[in-house]
Amino acid sequence: MSPVGDAARPPQALHVRDPGLQPERTALAWNRTGLSFVANALLALRAGNVNERWWVTGLGIMLLFGAAASLGLGLMRRAQLGRGTGPAAPPTWMLGATVLAAFVACVTAIAAIVHDA
Amino acid sequence: MLNRGWRHEGQEPDYRFSLANERTFLAWIRTALALLAGGVALDQFATRLGPHWVLVAIAIGLAALSAVLCGGAYLRWRSNEIAMRHARALSGTFVIPLLSIAALLAAAVIGVLLLVR
Repeated sequence: MSPVGDAARPPQALHVRDPGLQPERTALAWNRTGLSFVANALLALRAGNVNERWWVTGLGIMLLFGAAASLGLGLMRRAQLGRGTGPAAPPTWMLGATVLAAFVACVTAIAAIVHDA
Repeated sequence: MLNRGWRHEGQEPDYRFSLANERTFLAWIRTALALLAGGVALDQFATRLGPHWVLVAIAIGLAALSAVLCGGAYLRWRSNEIAMRHARALSGTFVIPLLSIAALLAAAVIGVLLLVR
């Protein structure tokens, strides 16, 4: 039942891919996520500046890079999906990197809040 | 580690469902980041709103919830993808009502603080 080791046969879902709306929506979702990172980056930069915590400012800068990376991943996904071959699911490293960036932001924020309380 | 076992089991789902799953993951990440931004903004800007420890508690609570959502986003994506590959129903999650309750509580506390200021 489970076609393990069956990578040579293309999945049937590929034959019905639409011309581009789904990849575009997926890229836009990555863009929106990038914008969320930007919002948090601005808050971190402000907090680091006002309270003079270099590590919070550092987080802000990292989140800006994360936002840019998110936009880049959106472009990558669009290109991957535009090729029309291969699995539709994103590689795990993309999701892992996103989770890690957001998680680091959470932990650093808790540390900063506790530190300044 | 890159070629995880579950990606080769079951059947490749309709690519639109995989992409919808990816966008759902990103929506969870954005929700987490929004909660984080809310918590940080409370701690940073609500200087005249009642006892500071209440705001710190809410801020830390929101940041912690955000961290949980980050990890949960990936786990949920993975579980959905596996369920789709084996043509099983997607599981519900208790996190959505939990999220509503948490947001409601935070809003209620802030509302009370605003009223008794």
